[in-house]
Amino acid sequence: MRSRALMLLVGSGAFLALALWIARPPASLANGDKDHEDKGGHAHVPAPLEYADAHMPLGAWTDPAMIARGKEIYAVRCAVCHGDAGDGKGPAGVALPLKPSDFRDKAGVAEMRDNYWFWRVSEGGQVEPFRSKGSAMPPWKGELSVQDRWAVMTYQHTFSGHQGPHVPSEHPESVAVGRDIYVMACVPCHGVDGKGDGTVAATLSPRRAPQPRDLTTAEFKFRSTPSGHLPATADLFRTVTEGVRGPGGLMTLGLRGYRIMPSFRHMPEAQRLEVIEYVKSLNAGFRERSEVKLVSLPAAPPVTPERIARGKKLYADAECLACHGERGRGDGPSAPTLKDNRELPIAATDLTRPERFKSGARPEDVYRTLMTGLAGTPMPSYGDSLEPDQSWDLVYYVLSLSRAGRRRAGAATN
Amino acid sequence: MARILSGVMMAMLMLAIVVAADEAAISGIVKAVDTAKQTVTLESTSGGKTRQVVVHLKPGARVVKFVRAAEPGKTGFVEQQLALTDVRPGWVVSVETKHEGDREVAELVKVVLER
Repeated sequence: MRSRALMLLVGSGAFLALALWIARPPASLANGDKDHEDKGGHAHVPAPLEYADAHMPLGAWTDPAMIARGKEIYAVRCAVCHGDAGDGKGPAGVALPLKPSDFRDKAGVAEMRDNYWFWRVSEGGQVEPFRSKGSAMPPWKGELSVQDRWAVMTYQHTFSGHQGPHVPSEHPESVAVGRDIYVMACVPCHGVDGKGDGTVAATLSPRRAPQPRDLTTAEFKFRSTPSGHLPATADLFRTVTEGVRGPGGLMTLGLRGYRIMPSFRHMPEAQRLEVIEYVKSLNAGFRERSEVKLVSLPAAPPVTPERIARGKKLYADAECLACHGERGRGDGPSAPTLKDNRELPIAATDLTRPERFKSGARPEDVYRTLMTGLAGTPMPSYGDSLEPDQSWDLVYYVLSLSRAGRRRAGAATN
Repeated sequence: MARILSGVMMAMLMLAIVVAADEAAISGIVKAVDTAKQTVTLESTSGGKTRQVVVHLKPGARVVKFVRAAEPGKTGFVEQQLALTDVRPGWVVSVETKHEGDREVAELVKVVLER
């Protein structure tokens, strides 16, 4: 009899446990995300482009003054949820469906890139995917200056126990996803170390420019930054998305649209951003620059016959015709002698074929190319020698050299 | 004996469903406060969908926020009770709700952020 009662008790207990497990609150009612909670509130997504260049100055991570300032802010703004110990167990945080991040989680912190971190502090839970997960994290961009947001990050970083700067060289796991994509998609041309020496590189355009970029140097052709500067992340994103147009050898025959670098438009945006973060980790300059200066891109004025006429005169005065030829066909007197900075022969762009413009053929693309030049090629920057209005004159003249160009100019200004 | 066993199991299943299935932690932005009806309307996002939830406060329910302890030597947070009239639209709060009939009810509202 006693053994039956015992069995009944044990069986009932097991059944109760099973029933509680089955009847746990449905996800549609609670706005937490159990899987996400287990990771301490992190969702490892790349920061969007508007935050992608937000890299903390290297010295700041270990600057005692920054950490002290961050501690003051943290105590007032963050500790109520993230806890005084940074464990995500502040009194207001423990009741939240989506648990606040635990900054003591070394692995979790190591995976966070600084621009992701800055984005999270700035926008809080108001942006996707955190909004859909029910994050209660407030956005601090309206209440904390950029410096204060950096400062609070330096203090939060101390909870992880890591002593050095929070950069990919210290935390390779922060760019591991991008590295994997790079290995699969980029190594054949750009090489294992990003020096442009992949096994396929030499066959892309034999003994001629363009060659795959050496991603470890400061020389990037396609930029919206001034001459001599590294590109913005948005520039790299545009290049990865669009690919690079140009004449190539047999190896490029399979690439669509006269391209020497394929378009990765088909790759999910998050993956393109991940691989770009890895590419940036190959070049310390991306994290050593304190800010990203962009060339100004004024709104395109209407295209008029007068503007095109002025542009034609500028085309001659600025000696564009020396390389691009009188009619823009890339057959100017200097064209046969042009070489890039590797001493490889390089063709002057045929301006009557806008679909072949390497940096795009919309009026703003041509304007940007005039302002920045193409680093490593004979194409100089006219940013210091042309006024914006003159540059637009020249842009419209260049586009007027072809029917497709005229159509693009008209579409952009109508 | 089998009848007793099955009866106990059914009772426990019912109990489990009542106790566990209808409890949920919700956080959201306060959209409205009705002191007469003792309700707080929250805008809450779950599974990618944003919805408005009217939370009914039980008699004696508390609204609390967390402040730094004022006592010398203490550095942690202590609860500070608020009246429902103190709660403002735009604040972020969290509540542990229970489903009663067709209503979400709560005994404790925690203020996460005043703004």
